[in-house]
Amino acid sequence: MLHIKCPYCGMRSQNEFAYGGDASVKRPELNKETTDSEWDSFVYLRKSLRGKHLELWHHISGCRQWFKVQRDTATHEIFKTLKPSEDI
Amino acid sequence: MTSISALENIHQKGLFGDYEGKNENELIKIFERKNLLIVQIAQYKNSSFLTKDINIDGLNLTNETLKVSCNTDTRILWCGPKNWLLISRKKDLLKTIQKLLIDNDFAVTNLSHSRAIIELEGENSKEILKKGCPFNFNELKKDNCVNSVFNGITITIDMIDDNPNTIRLFALRSFGESLYHSITDACLEFGYKSL
Repeated sequence: MLHIKCPYCGMRSQNEFAYGGDASVKRPELNKETTDSEWDSFVYLRKSLRGKHLELWHHISGCRQWFKVQRDTATHEIFKTLKPSEDI
Repeated sequence: MTSISALENIHQKGLFGDYEGKNENELIKIFERKNLLIVQIAQYKNSSFLTKDINIDGLNLTNETLKVSCNTDTRILWCGPKNWLLISRKKDLLKTIQKLLIDNDFAVTNLSHSRAIIELEGENSKEILKKGCPFNFNELKKDNCVNSVFNGITITIDMIDDNPNTIRLFALRSFGESLYHSITDACLEFGYKSL
C-alpha cells in the first residue's frame, strides 16, 4: 500500500487515487504542422522506465484534482508531488 | 414535489449488535439525517473573485484544507480547491446563494436529493470508520471534513462535534443502502442504537 501526499489535501492512502499515466509526455503544439509519427508517439508510445519516473495521479475520492508524482518504479518510493502547473 | 428519504425502508430503529449488559449511553447512535439543503459550490478556474468577501449566512468560503466554517444551522465544507459543499437546515438559503454567487464565477448545484446522510454519535464513532476507511482519524478534529472511501464507497466525512464524537457521512444516494449496511455491520461489535 502506497501513501501519496496530495498537494492539496496532504498524506492519503493509495485507495483514494487513480493512476493517470506518464506526466512527461508533451502534446504536440497547437496550430503547428505535426507528422503522423509525432502523433503516434504522443498517443501510443510510452517508455517503461525502471527508476525515477514522473507520473500523473488523480485524487479521485478526495479533492478530485490532478497532480504530478515523482516515483521510483522499482522501489515505489515517492520523492515529490507537485501541482500540475509546477515543474521539478 | 415530495421527497423520499434515501434510506427509506432501510434504516430500522432499535437496538442491535452486542448491546446487552451495556449502558444505552455508551452505545453508538445511528441517525439518518433528512431534509437538509445540500449545495455544491464550484468556482471556475478562470474566476478571480475573492471568496473571502462572500458572506453566506454569516459564513465565508474557506480556502483552508479540511476546514469547515459553520454556525448552528449551516456548515460549509472545503471539498477541494475552489470547491465547497454547503449543508444547511435553512432551505431558503439556496435563493440567497444563487443571488450572491454570480453565474460567471460560480457553478451552484442543488444536491439535496442526491445524497444519503448517516450520522454516527458516540465514543467509538471513529473506530467504526477506521474499519473501512484508510484516513488517519487521529488527525480529524471538530469542524474538520474529509473526502475519502469507506469499503470502496466514496464518502464525505464531516466531524460535527468531539464531545461526544459526532460524525456525519455523505454518500451518493444510490450508494446509501450499501454504505448503511457497511456501517451497521461495523457497529455490531460495539452495539448500536438506531434512532
